Parts: sequence; C-alpha cells; structure tokens
Amino acid sequence: MNSQEVDPSRRPEGPSNKVPPAKSGGRRRHWSEPLRNHTALVLLIVLVIAGGMLSDVFLTPRNLLNILWAVSLLGIVSLGQTVLLLTARFDMSVAGVVGLAGIVTVLAQINGFGLFASIGFGLGSGLLVGLCNGVLVLATGANPFLVTLAVNLLVYSLALSLTQSKTLYATIPEFNLLGRGQLFGFLHYSVIVFLALAAGLQFVLRRTIPGRTIYVAGLNEVAGRLSGLRLQITKLSAFVLCSGLAALTGIIMTSRLNSTVASSGFGMEFDSIIAAVLGGTSLFGGRGGTLRTIVGVVVLGVINNLLVLLNVPSEAQQIAKGLVFLAVVLADSALRRS
Amino acid sequence: MKRLLGLLENHSAALLVFGLVIAFGSTAPATFPTGSNFENIARQISLDAPMVFGQMVVLIAGGIDISVGSTMAMAASLAIGLQPFGTPVAVLGALGFGLAVGALNGLLVTKGKIVAFVATLGTMSLVRGLLLTYTGQASLVGIDPAFTFWGDGQIGPVPVSFLVVLAILLALYALLGHLRQGRNLYAIGGNQDAAFLGGVSVNKGLMMAFMLSGLMAAVSGVLVASRLNSASVQLGSDAPLMSISAALIGGASLFGGKGSIIAAFFGVLALGILNNGMNLLGVPTYTQIAVRALILIAIVVIDALATRLRRAELDSARIVE
Repeated sequence: MNSQEVDPSRRPEGPSNKVPPAKSGGRRRHWSEPLRNHTALVLLIVLVIAGGMLSDVFLTPRNLLNILWAVSLLGIVSLGQTVLLLTARFDMSVAGVVGLAGIVTVLAQINGFGLFASIGFGLGSGLLVGLCNGVLVLATGANPFLVTLAVNLLVYSLALSLTQSKTLYATIPEFNLLGRGQLFGFLHYSVIVFLALAAGLQFVLRRTIPGRTIYVAGLNEVAGRLSGLRLQITKLSAFVLCSGLAALTGIIMTSRLNSTVASSGFGMEFDSIIAAVLGGTSLFGGRGGTLRTIVGVVVLGVINNLLVLLNVPSEAQQIAKGLVFLAVVLADSALRRS
Repeated sequence: MKRLLGLLENHSAALLVFGLVIAFGSTAPATFPTGSNFENIARQISLDAPMVFGQMVVLIAGGIDISVGSTMAMAASLAIGLQPFGTPVAVLGALGFGLAVGALNGLLVTKGKIVAFVATLGTMSLVRGLLLTYTGQASLVGIDPAFTFWGDGQIGPVPVSFLVVLAILLALYALLGHLRQGRNLYAIGGNQDAAFLGGVSVNKGLMMAFMLSGLMAAVSGVLVASRLNSASVQLGSDAPLMSISAALIGGASLFGGKGSIIAAFFGVLALGILNNGMNLLGVPTYTQIAVRALILIAIVVIDALATRLRRAELDSARIVE
C-alpha cells in the first residue's frame, strides 16, 4: 500500500513526468521496486533468519517479545519524530523532554497530586516544549536542528535544577502498572501503546486532511500554500505532537523504573531519527509513514539483541549504530536522486 | 531595526567580549580583572580555539560539522594511548585520524550527497563508537612528561598553547583572506551553483573545508591531552554546540558564505570569558548550561532573521530594476 501511495506524490517533482506516459498509462515497475521501497523489511527478514541460525535463544517467543518490549519506548519517540520528519524538520529536544516529563510527573506525585493529574502535568510539560520549538522555528525560519538542540540543553538544565541532580522516586503504586503491566500476562502495555499509536497515526496521515497536509508541508510548501492548506498550524502541531509523544515515553519509562533522572532520555534524539529513516521515512520530508517506523525500530532492536546474544561488547554496538545510520542515510539520498 | 540587526550580526563577538568584560569586571572586581585570571582565560580558550576555527571554515563553505567533539576526544585518546610508540608517532596518529574523519565527512557530503549535518551526525556516532571501543571507557594517562609542554607549558607569561593558536590563526587568516582556495570557500558557501558555474571546484573546496575541520578538532584534542596529560571518553561532549555557538557569535551564518577567522577568535574569547566569569561568580552548573543554550537560540534566531531581511532586500531590489 505504501509503495503505491508514495510514488504518485513524488512524481510531479521528478523529471519522469516530462516523459510521455506509456500506452498502458503508467510506468512499468521494475521487479526490484517493492524491495527497494521496503529495504528495512528485507533487512529485518535477513536479520531474523541470520539470528535464528546464529543463536538458539533468538527465535524463542520470549526473546522476540522481549525485543518488542525493549524497543517500544524508543518506538513511541520515533513515531513523533517520523511525523515531524515528514514535514522535513526534526526535533533534537526529545531526549530532554523524556527526562523532564518523567521528573514533572514524579514531582507532581510527591506534591500530592493524583495519578491522572500527575500524568497530565508530565504530558503538559512536553506539549509546552513542543510549542516553544515550533514557534521558535516556524516564526523565525531558524535552523530547526540547532534550535531544538539548544532547547534540549535548556530542558535538561531545567530538569537538573528541578531534581538538584538527584534520582526521584514515584510515590503512587498504581503508577507502575503503566510501564510494568501486561495484557494476558505476556504483552506489555507499552508495546500495545506503541503499536496502537503507530496504526492510529498512519490512519490520520493517510486518510485525513491534516495528515495529508503534513506530507504537502514536506514535499512542496508553495503548492500547499497556494492550495489554501493551513500549513503553519499543521507544522506547529507536528512539533507539539513530537514533544508530546516524547513526554509520554518519559512517563512510561518512569513508570517502568519507578524512578527518573534528568538524563534518562539521552541518545533517544539520535536513535529516533535513525529508526524513522531506517524504516524508510525520508530526511527530506514528504516520504514515509509511521507503520514503516515500526519496522525501523524493530530492526534496531534486533541488531542490539543479536549483538548482546553474541556477546559483542557494548562499545561495539555504538559503532554498529553509526554504520547503520550512515548506510541508511546514503541509501535515502541515493533513492531521492533516482 | 535593520541597522540594529546588522550591527548585532557584524560585530556581535567584539560587542559581547566588551560587554562581558565590563559586566564581570564590575561584579567580580577582586577576581576577574587580574593578570593570572586573564592568563587562565587564554589557557582555556586555546584548547577550544582550533576546533572553532575549523568549524568556522566549514560554516563559511556552507557546511556544518557535528563530529568535532568525538573527533577531538578520539584524537586526545590517540595522542595519549599511542605514546608507547613515541610521542611524535602519537601526535601524528592523532592528527592523521582527524584528517581521516574530515575526509570521510567530505566524501559523504560531496560524493554521497548527504546534507552536512546529517553526515557529520553519523560520523560523530561512528567515531564515538571507535572511541569507546579503543579506550574501553577507561581514562588513559600519559607516560611522556615532555608532551605536556604544548598544553601546559609557558614561555615567559604566555601559555605555549596560546602561541600555537596564534600561529594557526595567522595561517588560516592568510588562507581565507588571501589565497584562492580560501576565497573560493566564500563563493561555495554563498551560492554553490554560482560558484560551480564560475569555475570553482565545489567538491574540492568542500573536501578541504571538512578536512581542515577534522584536523583542527584533532589539534584541539592533542592540546587538551597535553594539558591534562590524560584523556577520557567524556571529553568534547559539549564541543559541537560550543564550536558552532562560538563561530556564529563570530559572524558566521548557518546559510554559509560569511565569517572570518579573526571573528571566530573573538567568538571563542567571548564564550571563554562568559564561562570564566560565571565560574568566578559561583553560578550553578545547570544555570550555566541554560545561559549557553539561550545564547545559542538567540544567535540562531538573529542569524535567521538577518538572512531573511537581506533576502527580502535583494528581492525588492530586483523588482525595482
């Protein structure tokens, strides 16, 4: 479904529309096109087969569920990052927001607020940061990368000053259910939240006007403006959504660990971009989707899981991550030019 | 408004240095304006300055280099870790590594057609992985006392590292101001297509810029290693933002084609004085982080608004014609 929908939307930009259409009315598809459009899926299948051969434990249901559980938090962040990437922008402040949201939630609990109110405060702090990012970037045309990177520092310093660099512990016992509870005793709630959000967002992106507008914002802003689409508010919502999902991640992470520190989200800004781009969402906007990000996140999780099962030192995992990122970005750039 | 933006943009670094000296001189009169404190500042900024110069060169050419921090940390580790093979080998190894990372960045940008900050974000992650693997996350300690001369020694009252920085400053000033290869970088950063049509080898220029940046980050790494006579993986974690902030304060633009090495020096001086002053006043760490972040946001926004204004002016000039 993705491959069919993505192509027509890209075509008006490429040189191919100058070529008169063939008799059948469409370009003949090369046999490898579905493969190229779903490189992450191919990679995943190869990795799973290789993993099954290399390790006895890998293909056990327990391990596979573990992988899903391990990546679900990064997954939720990556979904927001994906939506923002579709508008050709991104958010480096998700790392700080993950930390801040957890801290605000726990602080609210310590100060006597109830379960839902504290979660509301946590989410609210994230939405507020997203609003700041969006307004700063969109109103001034400033570089989103550096602005959100600076906001990340700002949020981190705020989190440090709120915690005085200490670890904070949640005080409401039921709060743990969110991060530790399982449906039918084996499926963690965070996994369900991740998959449900991915499916829901995909529906919004493909089937609703605000969703389609996000693609237009990334593909061709001038065309969007001339068509009377409300681009500014859509782009602002993308920023807010991205930070909001990062805040949700921070809250679930806090609930899983029952505690939080300011640096708990470190690295997620980078990993979420890798996951989204790995899944096939373009860094240049307008191409991709949240269902693809599931695949990207799972590929990252499988690579990490395999490296651990094969006793590769954790330091080397960073090298693997860097190499995967560069390979994916090179492929993305090549695909865009072809 | 326009004049104010222009003033802020063109002389922001010198203005900021001036303002900061007055501010700290009046709030910490006993500790800030003393000879030994100025020597301290000179020592401190000498470690950062080469990296900022490299960042400036890349920004002028219209790129950006996020990998400077991990390159610096890896170079520092090599300069210490390779000392059993002789200190010259260690230093050359460190500098060579910096050049290699720069070459990789240049290739990714010119041949791979990847946007500069994405490419260098990737190499940053890769180099950090190499660093973690090479050091095993442990601190390395130097075995050659003579090596500390470069970062820690002084000739009269002047730190040796400061003299090294001055030498680099002069060399890069000559390159950017007076040599064709350097002037070409402004053309490339200003308008890549126009530069290409004007017969400038864009790819060669970008390669040179990124390799210089890698090399300069490595020089910073060697100086830091020499100063501390040790290296740890934590080095350089705030280097990307610091170097970009300093270069932008020094009049560089994220849109390329602007800036100078002298102004980069003032940029790094301004940040150095700011850090020094905040430490003297006992400002808590998280407030210092927040101040640095706010400064970066401010200059990025000013840069964007000034560029927008300039473009609008160009457009209106075109309509009048």
